[in-house]
Amino acid sequence: MSAAQVFIGVILPYVTVVVFVVGIVYRIKKWNKAPAGKMTLFSAPATPSEKWKQILKEVLVFKQLFDGNKSLWAGTWIFHAALLLIIVGHSRVVTDFPLLWAALGMSNANVDTMSNVVGGAAGVIVLAMGIYLLVRRLLVTRVAEISDTEDYVCLGLILAIVISGDILRFGPHFDLNVSREYFAGLLTFQGGPAPSNPWFLIHFFLGQILIMYVPFSKFLHIPGIFYSKSLIYQR
Amino acid sequence: MNTISKNSTQGHEIGQAEMDKVVAAVRAIKDGPRSLQLYMDLCAKCGTCATQCHVSEADPERRTNPAGRSDLIRKMFNEDGSVIRKIASALSSKGSAGLIDKKTVEEWARDFYECSGCRRCAKFCPFGIDNSVITRKGRAILHSLGLTPTRLVDTQEVSNKFGNDEGFNRAAFMDVINFLEEELEEEHGVPIKIPVDKEGAEVLYCGASADFQNSPDTVMGYAAFFHAAGIDWTMSYEACDAANMGLFTGDDPHMKAKNKVLHDACMKLGVKKLVIGECGHAYRIAKFIGGSNYWGKDIPYQITNIFYLAADLVKKGAFKLDPSRNPIPVTYHDPCNFARSTGLTEEPRELIRACVSDFREMTPNRDANWCCGGGGGLANLDSAEGVKKRETSFQEYRMNIGGKKKLEQIRATGAGYVAAPCANCKRHIDQLMEYHKMDVKVGGVFDLLNRALVLKNGN
Repeated sequence: MSAAQVFIGVILPYVTVVVFVVGIVYRIKKWNKAPAGKMTLFSAPATPSEKWKQILKEVLVFKQLFDGNKSLWAGTWIFHAALLLIIVGHSRVVTDFPLLWAALGMSNANVDTMSNVVGGAAGVIVLAMGIYLLVRRLLVTRVAEISDTEDYVCLGLILAIVISGDILRFGPHFDLNVSREYFAGLLTFQGGPAPSNPWFLIHFFLGQILIMYVPFSKFLHIPGIFYSKSLIYQR
Repeated sequence: MNTISKNSTQGHEIGQAEMDKVVAAVRAIKDGPRSLQLYMDLCAKCGTCATQCHVSEADPERRTNPAGRSDLIRKMFNEDGSVIRKIASALSSKGSAGLIDKKTVEEWARDFYECSGCRRCAKFCPFGIDNSVITRKGRAILHSLGLTPTRLVDTQEVSNKFGNDEGFNRAAFMDVINFLEEELEEEHGVPIKIPVDKEGAEVLYCGASADFQNSPDTVMGYAAFFHAAGIDWTMSYEACDAANMGLFTGDDPHMKAKNKVLHDACMKLGVKKLVIGECGHAYRIAKFIGGSNYWGKDIPYQITNIFYLAADLVKKGAFKLDPSRNPIPVTYHDPCNFARSTGLTEEPRELIRACVSDFREMTPNRDANWCCGGGGGLANLDSAEGVKKRETSFQEYRMNIGGKKKLEQIRATGAGYVAAPCANCKRHIDQLMEYHKMDVKVGGVFDLLNRALVLKNGN
């Protein structure tokens, strides 16, 4: 058992949760408290229900970006969709869903195959799109001229997490039973050290850094988009 | 030639007190408004706005990049709130020092007056970030330092004194009204009254006072319309101007005070409707920023635009219109404040189609229209004035950079007349056509109506 396994596996996760929750609550409270004058941008949806439909459409398909920049839209939509798929897929690293698989009539082998094909493809796609976004940021003058350290840190962090994750998937076999046992302990506050696989440690460490960074960086666009769109769609 | 008045920003001293004021104003964003807070937090620097901004497209530089301009405030706000800065400033006991310097304030005075606040970026930003809000905040800070361009400050002062931006006293105003009535009778062959301060009228009409001198045909069009429609209307001397520089200078108290002039006139005359004319920002303030937002939900009058009234009656066939009287090809310029900030896009088109024989759309149009380049008060600015002398005069900037997209759009239509229902757009596009030696007339929509209208017993 190494010090890294203890720090990353036993101490950091609780810090991560506290920092993330406190940070997000602080931000959202601040946004809620701030006076919001009317600033309708036409053509705005006419009713509140249409407004929320429009916001959902923006969150799901990035309609305004589609109108504004087709190539960025394609790259970033695929990037976000693959990321979402990967996050959902990560639930299997934490636990298994035997009842769900039974209900769907899938055997363990079926589930593993699905996970390998879909998860594997998403892992490759998200890496490719992440590289595209980085190259675009470096080479397209109009983007490069407004890019700061933070923009590269955010993208670099995601790429590092994606690469270590891809190594876990495509490299030497990583036994999910080990991680499930570990997370079961973590959730019941009887956590043992994290699995010793060095790629797992790197991946898990950077993932937690990313989660803690959300309330303090442009990753705030995840909760923020609902607020900012709401402002301009409000009649 | 020295036309710079006592308010000149040129040579204005920027000392520590001014810089402290800037820092305090930027810090205050932590208390709102919500839009600014979100815009400080969310921007992902994707660069989409740079490709959707008429200024940034015409002159692709970092300083014209909307996200880059907004960074002038955003970086300062975020840096100020950072842990690293807090520790550093506690250790050095210098407080806000280093957040801003004299040179940066000088750049603000230039850069925040190169954005016309047209809100087009917000239509294409994946998060809907409206950079005009940040521009206006920057301008508000500059205004508090006395760094607003002279022409705008002068206009506000004239307006505070006379209630209108043109500086008409009552006699001068009545003189214009009498002149317009004479012109109307000559043109239509029947007397057409322009009632002033008529108590109990149903409608109080209010537009940009600049129209009286710069676009008399537009004003005559309103009068002819009200006459033909049989609407019981009036103008008011006190409230002869709905234009409001407060939106452009970031001066909220001025914006509210100028809006109060309209409210007071409505209350005094007891009208049922306040009808705003061909002036985008005036209608935006009257209906969406001021009006019931300032004076309570139960104000006893409605606020609307003359386009809604006219389009409705034209649809019902209430007038005889002869499109052959406007034979030249006409295109329509959507003023940003109408199309994006009030949603008024179809009614002017319905009117034009009924009044002209050849109507041509620009592309893109409606809420995606390019700003003419004169928005946000820029149309009023000509000189090379700034805290430091500008590299180019505002006029050259508008003709070669701000107006470039609009020039291309108008050229592509092959139109001989641009209908631009906004005093800012009219002045700017008119200059643009002359500067680029285009044989294109610029005017209002009601100029066309005035010509097409066939009155009973008239010409």
